[in-house]
Amino acid sequence: MQTAIQIQNVSFAYGSKQVLHDVSMDIPARQITAFIGPSGCGKSTLLRCFNRINDRIPGAHLTAGSILVHDIDINRRDIDLQELRRRIGMVFQKYNPFAKSIYENVAFSLRVEGRTKRSELDGVVENALRNAALWDEVKDRLHASAFGLSGGQQQRLCIARAIANQPDILLMDEPCAALDPLATLKIEELLMELKKQYTIIIVTHNMGQATRCSDKTAFMYLGKLIEYGPTMQLFENPQNPQTEAYVTGTFG
Amino acid sequence: MSPEESSAHPNPHRFQKRGFSYEQAIKYFFASNAGLTIVILAMIIIFLLKEGLGFFPGYQRELEVYRVAGLEFVDISRKNLTAHEQLSSVLNRAYYAEINGQSFRQMRRSQEASALFNSYTDQTGATRDLVLNNSRAAGDPNSEMLAALNANFETQKAKALSSLPPTPHLTAQERTSLIESIRARAIESTEDPPLVTTLAGEFAAAQQKFAEPLQGMRATIDAFAAAGADLSSLVSDMTATVTATKEKIQGADILEKDRKTLLAAAASARDPVEREKLISEAKASLADKPDIEGPIQTLLEHRPDCVRLHTALKETSGGILNQLPITLTQPEAARLLKVARNTWPLFIADLEKTPAAINAWKHDAPVPLTSAISSFLTGKDWVTGGEWQDFYGILPLAAGSLMISIVALSLAIPTSIGAAIYINQYASNWEQSIVKPVIEFIQAIPSVVLGFIGILVLGTVLRDISLLDSLHWVPGFPLTERLNIFTAGCLLALMSIPTIFSLAEDALNNVPSAYAEASEALGASRVQTTFRVVVPAAFSGILAAVLLGFGRVIGETMVVLLVAGNRIKIPDFSAGLGTFFQPCHTLTGIIAQELGEVPMGSVHYRALFVVGILLFAVVLTINATAHRFVNKMKH
Repeated sequence: MQTAIQIQNVSFAYGSKQVLHDVSMDIPARQITAFIGPSGCGKSTLLRCFNRINDRIPGAHLTAGSILVHDIDINRRDIDLQELRRRIGMVFQKYNPFAKSIYENVAFSLRVEGRTKRSELDGVVENALRNAALWDEVKDRLHASAFGLSGGQQQRLCIARAIANQPDILLMDEPCAALDPLATLKIEELLMELKKQYTIIIVTHNMGQATRCSDKTAFMYLGKLIEYGPTMQLFENPQNPQTEAYVTGTFG
Repeated sequence: MSPEESSAHPNPHRFQKRGFSYEQAIKYFFASNAGLTIVILAMIIIFLLKEGLGFFPGYQRELEVYRVAGLEFVDISRKNLTAHEQLSSVLNRAYYAEINGQSFRQMRRSQEASALFNSYTDQTGATRDLVLNNSRAAGDPNSEMLAALNANFETQKAKALSSLPPTPHLTAQERTSLIESIRARAIESTEDPPLVTTLAGEFAAAQQKFAEPLQGMRATIDAFAAAGADLSSLVSDMTATVTATKEKIQGADILEKDRKTLLAAAASARDPVEREKLISEAKASLADKPDIEGPIQTLLEHRPDCVRLHTALKETSGGILNQLPITLTQPEAARLLKVARNTWPLFIADLEKTPAAINAWKHDAPVPLTSAISSFLTGKDWVTGGEWQDFYGILPLAAGSLMISIVALSLAIPTSIGAAIYINQYASNWEQSIVKPVIEFIQAIPSVVLGFIGILVLGTVLRDISLLDSLHWVPGFPLTERLNIFTAGCLLALMSIPTIFSLAEDALNNVPSAYAEASEALGASRVQTTFRVVVPAAFSGILAAVLLGFGRVIGETMVVLLVAGNRIKIPDFSAGLGTFFQPCHTLTGIIAQELGEVPMGSVHYRALFVVGILLFAVVLTINATAHRFVNKMKH
């Protein structure tokens, strides 16, 4: 099994507040890895370290360890952040399309890269929307505002936007938290499809979702990685009593 | 008590409401406060309309008198005469600009030497007079006192000599010798220092030398100026006639008004004796209808003369243009000549049309109310308190307000929005904590204080800068007016920056950070995120900020009153960008300046109210539009 991301003894802090303590794990390529754990356990922070989007927050910094994406330490000084983020797409908890047309939302990552050729963009937009299972619903109104779509459609648009530039890795921070069960189901079906092309890491509160979709699951608690293993094993035969308590619902 | 009534007032139950509670009292107190503002606003609007709308009938009557008395007839000729005078003046200015431009060096040298000497005499004049007066005093001068005065003079002299103005066009040697000659000058001497005289002589000689090749132009200009003389004397003859008629009509109008007032008083008087008295007084003040036809006929007898003189003037003027030089060497002179050349065909065309207008004019054509309204809204003259005729045309004031707003906004928009983008998107916390309060602090400066900073500092500095030789290429430099559209615009820009900055910063702040985060996660740089995602999302808010800034600029009074120069005239747009360095007057400034001095209830007084209504409507529209944009952004 190929490894996409290696996390080596990572500790992370917002200012003086330590939120991750010595986390180490390997994330396999072209599989779905789920992070579960109670609120505030650091799973989102860890996810946000992979594309260094945490850099936006003043005072956020890695205090120890390193994160290797395809064997390159992404916290080196000479990392081109824009290029890194082109390789690692991200979908957020609350769907957040820009105040632009559907077409321009999907084409955004190419435009900022300086690729503006109409014919190229047309192809990329169609492809991305098809992969996000949205094409049939929006093909007649590509140039209408993205805000006219339903919540589930907006989230799938955000997925299309994130995969338009063919990243290697897709980070998803509770992508279904703001959606109803039907829309959630659609996204989950989509994930199974996307898994063939992308390495997907998904943060979720919904343990059902983790069992349905993911190949591997990591349970985090209070900034520490408690247990990490194949999903089936983690849910059915947890090694750690804390994990067991959490997955059986006796705490959390 | 019937059963219905008893069911309407049932017996108190457990949750019975008791009377007027404390909370209700508080609620009604705040409700009355909110209601009061609405009532006051309504009263202001009613008052403005009540005072203002009487303007149009009053102005209509004034225009009627203007026509009936024949002033309008005279103005047909006078308009051409004014155009003729302006053209002569432009040509003269071109002529002198050419000469002074060529003898520029000599002119500056002479001016600088005189300025240096004047600075010396200004500073020492008072002490010098003391010495001279006392030594001339009859009998024995008090030698002790005289010595003291002399010493005082010497100190002042030394002080003056150490603080002389710079003289960039004089050589160091010349400057030294000039200072030396001043130092060595006898106290009673009244002559100018030799260098000042020499340089003045050199300047005069240079002027003469450069005037030599322009003799032809001089003669042409003089011939053109002389061509208007006959028409001018005819116009002044007619002026005397029509002014007399106008006075008669106005006198009759006043008597008529008095009579109406008396009759009204009589109608409401209770005491029959009193009423009789008032009615008889009213009868006494019944004016004779003033004779209009007679003077008008005399006036109209001038028609053939008028037509003849116009035709003559047209023929003379037609030839003048070809006799003028094609172009001149000095840029300012060439520009003025070009202005004259461009206006010439208009002038000739006007002269051409005039005879027909003179013949078609009728003194008894009616003046409808609409013409009073249109002459207010599109009138190019705001003339008040004049002997001839008052005009209330709003264009000069509106143009002034607009020009100042253009300057103010074109300075304030880039500055404040740039600052807002920087502070919101890039600045560190400590930069924010310094810049935001400082920008908002500008708002705390009273506008009258800004006004006098504008007069004393900005106006003076700008004028001094404009005198630099290296800046001659800037249109409008050197400045002829220290207070102008540009100085007022600069200060208003400063005043509107806090408004635009704060609101634009709020608008940027209201863009959800999820947008910026998503954009960066897609590989956009900070700058791309700012300009492709954040600014477009905040666009309607920023637009609202600009509009509210515009509302602030157009409504500001004190600064423009102090700094805009207050010349009531549509700016001369032929000066290109130099137009912005002309003085102007504004809608707000005119109200502040004139309302205190006009008689209450007069047409002029009401005209100012209409200006106020207009201003109110403009600012209200701007603010309403801005709020619409803000609401649009919230959804």
